[in-house]
Amino acid sequence: MPSEPSGEVVDLPSATRAIDIALDELELVYAFIFARVGNRADAEDLTQQVAMKAFPRLRPSAPASSIRGYLFATARSVLGAFWSTRLGLSQAELHEDLALAIPQGPPSDESVERAQRILAELSDNYRRVLELRFLHGYSLKEVAAEMRSTVGAIKVMQLRALRAAAKVDPDG
Amino acid sequence: MGKKPENRVERIVNDLLHGRRLKLRAGDAEEKEAITAAARFAAARQGPQRMSPAFRRRLAQTLESAPKETWLTRRAAMVAGLGVAAAALAGGIVGRALEPAGSPAPSTTSSPVLPKNGRWTDVGALADFSEGQGKLVRAGGVRAFVFRQGEAVTAVSSMCSHLPCELWWDRGPSVLQCPCHPVSFTRDGKPSSPSYTLPALNEVKARVSAEGRVEVLGT
Repeated sequence: MPSEPSGEVVDLPSATRAIDIALDELELVYAFIFARVGNRADAEDLTQQVAMKAFPRLRPSAPASSIRGYLFATARSVLGAFWSTRLGLSQAELHEDLALAIPQGPPSDESVERAQRILAELSDNYRRVLELRFLHGYSLKEVAAEMRSTVGAIKVMQLRALRAAAKVDPDG
Repeated sequence: MGKKPENRVERIVNDLLHGRRLKLRAGDAEEKEAITAAARFAAARQGPQRMSPAFRRRLAQTLESAPKETWLTRRAAMVAGLGVAAAALAGGIVGRALEPAGSPAPSTTSSPVLPKNGRWTDVGALADFSEGQGKLVRAGGVRAFVFRQGEAVTAVSSMCSHLPCELWWDRGPSVLQCPCHPVSFTRDGKPSSPSYTLPALNEVKARVSAEGRVEVLGT
């Protein structure tokens, strides 16, 4: 039988304590969003949207599991809207994987490990260009020099490598 | 930058690697998969992230200015604090725990229906439930009226709390009517007439899954 809301409903000792708990839960939401948008400014905006949307709807009797579940359901919805607005697509068209399990602890290396699993599935050239560009922060020019190619060719290879990476199922 | 896809994607990659926002244009949709992959790689480069102290303070101020409600129970706070939540709830349960602010509180005078070895039964898509209208559903041996309130649902037993008759939903006055005697109940299970001192209907557990399916705890 699934877990049920239980226990007496009582007021928290203070509003400050409630906000601290909320912020701790939102840390997980922030890490989840950051791992998908890759930059702080967008991650902060979207986390704030999640907080504003979700908190007025939480009932006093909500168990912690539901609170986290609802925050992540809201985060998925906010992220879906973000991509659909930015890319001009309906949410149904988006390929973005937003259905991952809810984190159970502090922010982890999940996004790093996931990237490594994807890179391992790519051809040598594709893996190399993405490693140099994203993991080592090389400029296009530096990548071209390292791989004895031209900037134009590396740009095309980068695009093809990203397309190939998007097709890899890191959990497969 | 030209319109070639490699140039468009490079512009976005360059922004990401410099910590800038995603500035996407309509034409970028053709490369949506490459762009979302680039965003994930850019995130991976920076490792696991926590909110900056400045953002955390801003967020705290936002929450402090939110409507004054008790958000969490002490029990929920303890569980959240210990970080043992959510393991079995990867789907993101919305359900009874979450309702629009200001919606009627369910009666506390009747206990919920909690069958031993109960299980959640899919009773249809949320889209099939009309806002505020009662819909009779069956979850094994449990029959209930489910009510939709926005993206959340509530449910009460379909059996009258006085005579063992099954209620029916009367759309006009928006109440559950008993066919066996002249009583009716509101959607939160309370008797609608103060002249009848009947117990409230039993609450039935209901929720909405992350996939937008309505589930009722039945047998």
